[in-house]
Amino acid sequence: MLKIQEVKTLVETGKAKKIQAIVQEALDAGCPAQEILNAMIDSMGVVGDKFSAGEIFVPEMLIAAKSMAKGVEILKPVMSGDTSSSLGTCIIGTVAGDLHDIGKNLVSMMIESAGFDLVDLGVDVPAQRFVDAVNENKNVVLVACSGLLTTTMPALKEAVQTIKAALPEMKVIVGGAPVTPDYAAEIGADGYAPDAGSAGVKAKELVN
Amino acid sequence: MIIIGEKINGAIPSTGKAIAEKDKEFIRKLAIKQTEAGADFIDVCASVDDTIELETMKWLIDIVQDATDVPIAVDSPNIYTCIESMKYCKKAGLFNSVSLEGDKIDLAFKEIADTNWECVALLNSDKGIPKTAKDRLDVFTDLMGKCKEYKIDPSQIHIDPLIEMLCISEDGIATVVEVIREIKKQYPIIHVTGAISNISFNLPARRIANQAFAVLAMSAGMDSFILDPLNKDMMGMLFATEAMMGEDEYCIEYISAFREGKFVK
Repeated sequence: MLKIQEVKTLVETGKAKKIQAIVQEALDAGCPAQEILNAMIDSMGVVGDKFSAGEIFVPEMLIAAKSMAKGVEILKPVMSGDTSSSLGTCIIGTVAGDLHDIGKNLVSMMIESAGFDLVDLGVDVPAQRFVDAVNENKNVVLVACSGLLTTTMPALKEAVQTIKAALPEMKVIVGGAPVTPDYAAEIGADGYAPDAGSAGVKAKELVN
Repeated sequence: MIIIGEKINGAIPSTGKAIAEKDKEFIRKLAIKQTEAGADFIDVCASVDDTIELETMKWLIDIVQDATDVPIAVDSPNIYTCIESMKYCKKAGLFNSVSLEGDKIDLAFKEIADTNWECVALLNSDKGIPKTAKDRLDVFTDLMGKCKEYKIDPSQIHIDPLIEMLCISEDGIATVVEVIREIKKQYPIIHVTGAISNISFNLPARRIANQAFAVLAMSAGMDSFILDPLNKDMMGMLFATEAMMGEDEYCIEYISAFREGKFVK
């Protein structure tokens, strides 16, 4: 169990170069892969919370996620075929007319680190494309739409409403600098997150 | 980035007073504070009469070594003082400094050869301080010849391109920049160093000029700095510049230095 604690520390401090060896050691010591994965997800939760609280900076969150991704590479062959570990698939994209992807990518990272499979549609995504992506992919449980510009707020609304019209049961989460919780509720989204750290937490909350 | 902490120098009035009064605690605190601030070497320069220089160096070095594990830069204009002072050091440090004046370099390199000591080398010769970039680079070429002769690796050498005061310079720092760039082009692993605050002698608001110089010199290739590591503005400027030069992935060094209090908001 000491090894798992070590893995957690390496995720939280973003030691991407060291983590693979330690994850392997944890497996060799008999720790179940699922348990190691859960520990890393918990650590990313801690990282996300620290980021939301302003205790750490963006690069520190980036290297933590990078570190986790490195660790997952070791777990994947051991866990392949086992889909029970996933929380489901999340479709993410920046809405039509908006080319911003830095914030969206951070959110992707945190949602993926929270235990989702992620399909990233990129930027300038037309509303219908979100719906198509839900139908094209397996086990989609969540759609995340991002918009950074005040001028693309209507596109965000259109995206949410198009998704909800076609797939009334689908959970939709929105975010981006000009978005407020009130606006999110007004356009019919199920959830809102003010930053990447809370996006991971909120995403989990919506599908549980 | 290599930081050579300059505070233990008898030429600084408060340090000079502490040396004169044998104030051990004062020196000890300077060593500890500079260590905490991230110094890679603690420079020790007695700046006292020749007759007591060596014993003063020994006294200072003993105090510093007792207070910190950071290696020492033995600093004196007298080459024999530097050579003798090496013997007081428990581990390899920095020889500060040699030049091509007289037989200084042979005397020093004989001692440095086959050790892990590093060495600051000034680009002046018997003819004084060369005026043009070309003349300084000629001195540099001679110097590297000596390194080869004594089998001293370029990575052990910190070239001081000779920083003169900005206020009487005819070309700002253009000459120095040219020299630094050429040196780094020829020997990418060599270090280029300098006493940053020399640039701003006789100017008001010296810290501003010092910072501007540090940024530009670093951009040219300077990677070793003789300065006061307790100067947080300067330290922050160096870490920020390093990140902007693409030498600090994810700005982690910058963020860590900030967290460690090396500079503040």
